[in-house]
Amino acid sequence: MLPFINDILRYDSLSIVGLEKNTGKTECLKYVLDRLPVQSKRIAVTSIGIDGETVDQVTRTQKPEIVLREGMYFGTSEMHYRQRRLVSELIDVSDEGTSLGRVVTARAITDGKILLSGPSSASSLKRWMDDMKQRFNIDLVIIDGALSRMSSASPAVSESLILATGAAYSANISTLVSKTAHVVDLVNLELTSEDNLRRLLPLDKGLWFIDKDGELHSLDAMTSLAREIHFQGMDGCKTLYVAGALVDSFLEKVRKNKDLKQVELVVRDFTKVFVTPQQFRLFIKAGGRMTVLQRSRLIAVTVNPTSPSGYVLDSDMLCGRLSEAIGLPVYDLIKNKQ
Amino acid sequence: MKLRNVIESPCGIRYVVDQLELQSGFARRWLLDTPMMTSGEHIMACYSVLGRFAEFVNRVEPLFINTLNHKLCGLKDIRTTIKNLYSRSVLDDIELFEVKHLALLATDVARLMDQHGMAGVVEIPALDEVIDILDPDGLKIATFYIYDSYCDQLKQLRAQMRQHPDQQDDLLLQAGELEETVRKDLSQRLHPWASAIEQAQLALARIDVNVAKALQMKQMGLTFPALSGDGTSRYQAMFHPQVKDALAAHGRQFQPVDITFGHRPTLITGANMGGKTVVLKTLTLCQLLFQFGFGIPAATAQIAVKDEIHFCIGDEQSLEKGLSSFAAEMRNIDAVIKASRENKKLMALIDEPARTTNPTEGAALVTALLRVLADKDMSLVMTTHYDIEPGGARCLRVKGFENGAMDYQLVEVQDGEVPHEALNIAQSLGIDSEWIATARTLLESSTTQ
Repeated sequence: MLPFINDILRYDSLSIVGLEKNTGKTECLKYVLDRLPVQSKRIAVTSIGIDGETVDQVTRTQKPEIVLREGMYFGTSEMHYRQRRLVSELIDVSDEGTSLGRVVTARAITDGKILLSGPSSASSLKRWMDDMKQRFNIDLVIIDGALSRMSSASPAVSESLILATGAAYSANISTLVSKTAHVVDLVNLELTSEDNLRRLLPLDKGLWFIDKDGELHSLDAMTSLAREIHFQGMDGCKTLYVAGALVDSFLEKVRKNKDLKQVELVVRDFTKVFVTPQQFRLFIKAGGRMTVLQRSRLIAVTVNPTSPSGYVLDSDMLCGRLSEAIGLPVYDLIKNKQ
Repeated sequence: MKLRNVIESPCGIRYVVDQLELQSGFARRWLLDTPMMTSGEHIMACYSVLGRFAEFVNRVEPLFINTLNHKLCGLKDIRTTIKNLYSRSVLDDIELFEVKHLALLATDVARLMDQHGMAGVVEIPALDEVIDILDPDGLKIATFYIYDSYCDQLKQLRAQMRQHPDQQDDLLLQAGELEETVRKDLSQRLHPWASAIEQAQLALARIDVNVAKALQMKQMGLTFPALSGDGTSRYQAMFHPQVKDALAAHGRQFQPVDITFGHRPTLITGANMGGKTVVLKTLTLCQLLFQFGFGIPAATAQIAVKDEIHFCIGDEQSLEKGLSSFAAEMRNIDAVIKASRENKKLMALIDEPARTTNPTEGAALVTALLRVLADKDMSLVMTTHYDIEPGGARCLRVKGFENGAMDYQLVEVQDGEVPHEALNIAQSLGIDSEWIATARTLLESSTTQ
């Protein structure tokens, strides 16, 4: 058993996210499902998919079926349930619909294959997960995350995540390493102080700052996307909080503002950060500090050195370089399987 | 006329419906689709059921209500499945699961009701046979698949599947055919139960709605109405729940109102801010709540059944239709007059008709309206600021501004003379003194002329 299987079992939810199509997300999910101890743990699997994604929208290849093992629970759409290739026992049909019908929940009676297409929004996914834990005593929920939808990996939804990256994300090792390292940097942003957490967690929108006397104020702009943001009366301010999305232009304004040299920039979680690696690096270089209110635990990074166009990167070199850049072990699951 | 059609009425019935703590979306849809009752017998039969539930929620432990509500939460809308059952379609696993789930739920709820002396208050058909069909192993849990025990051959195939995973695709295909045969058989055996299953689903929705209504009566202090046989409605200490709650949120109290009205038109006059519109809203609300079988916001209520309820509140502009507020109002009142000629029992509540036009023509329109409607069989309550000849109408007046406070009670007066308190009230609101003083001067000079 590779080490990260044990890590997974320490959390009650795991999201597997691919940074690009064909970065081996499904391989990774298969790998994990094959190795989890089904006899001792109740495991449920679902997906947050682009609705109707039976056929890969980009490469026109069939969306892969997942092999489930006897005893595993799963959530999928009515349509995909009817196409299942295993014997399974229905335990719930939800009221919430997706474009492929309602979400049905079942338990595998035999091993077999299923197409996963679960709840269609992060909030309905969260409800499904809570329901699984409360009603069916599920120990671990695994979410097959969707391309470009980090929302399922948000710490508000799942406690831990695995990132799948690879040649499909970039065919140049250096670029691939730096782009992946950026995502890892964001996932690994430190938690803010207990005090900030208590004060800022209830605020789910707007821009806020805590002045030098510890008073909480709201900025007049509602989001970091606003064209005009005036940082007035913020001399010596300690904490600046962006409840919604954090974008490049805002980060640049913060970096260039003399009053905000010492500021701790707090975001809700890494899925709310939409800044380019360049802006992020400049901000950190200038002595900036960015923290989060909620943090997911990054369990592992996996790579697929083969791009869909057929280009193959050197697996060992890629794993080595990436591992060095992010300070975490990196696995090539396809190679290790052989 | 369904509840769905009146839910946006300006009388505020949505507030009462939204405050119901319904457990299932199906019960909410069912409730919104219930037609307005126009037979006194029917209405009283509903109240008799609700009465049993009111007694029930007062008698049993709150914990038990939680258990019951938790069960009712599981009620799903399976009308499509029931339709397929009626039409002899072969149900798929999801549909069979839905039927089993409902049958188990209905049996559970029936048992809970029986245990607490509520057997038969809402008739739930017995579905034990349906459960037997879908639960061959007698597990009594709400899960479903085509069980091994339905078919020996299927059982063998599945055993082979476990032993030879490499042949699974082929075996699944064979098993699939057997499963379909089982589904056909199950659907056939379930077909005669379609009506009972449908009834069970409706019964659970009715229980959900009745429990919610009964709890709401307790919480909002609503009462059971009596049926008035003489066409006259009588309310004591009537209140508007939404206005009452809004006032309470500001630390103020709602002053309940007593009112009786019936065959003769009733004209309500009174100072501005005297609560005349609230009275009309509340009367409309009470009438609708009565004919949809809800608790009534009053200490006592005796209500006459109507075929149609018209609530004309003057300030609704119909922008989509491109009508001005005056035109919209005229059309609404026109509808009342037309309906009054159709031999229906009507109730019409008209708030300050013709208020947006000049007082000379306005007063003429209101006087004429009273005359036109006076001899019709209808309960008409109308408010106005105009000084008009009441004709045969009964006149009520809001007591009004006394000792710096508003008294919202209604008193019967002999004529429709309107109070002249607008300037005093405006003054008490702290409105610009020059404006008010000038108005006073103008008034005095016009009366002395």
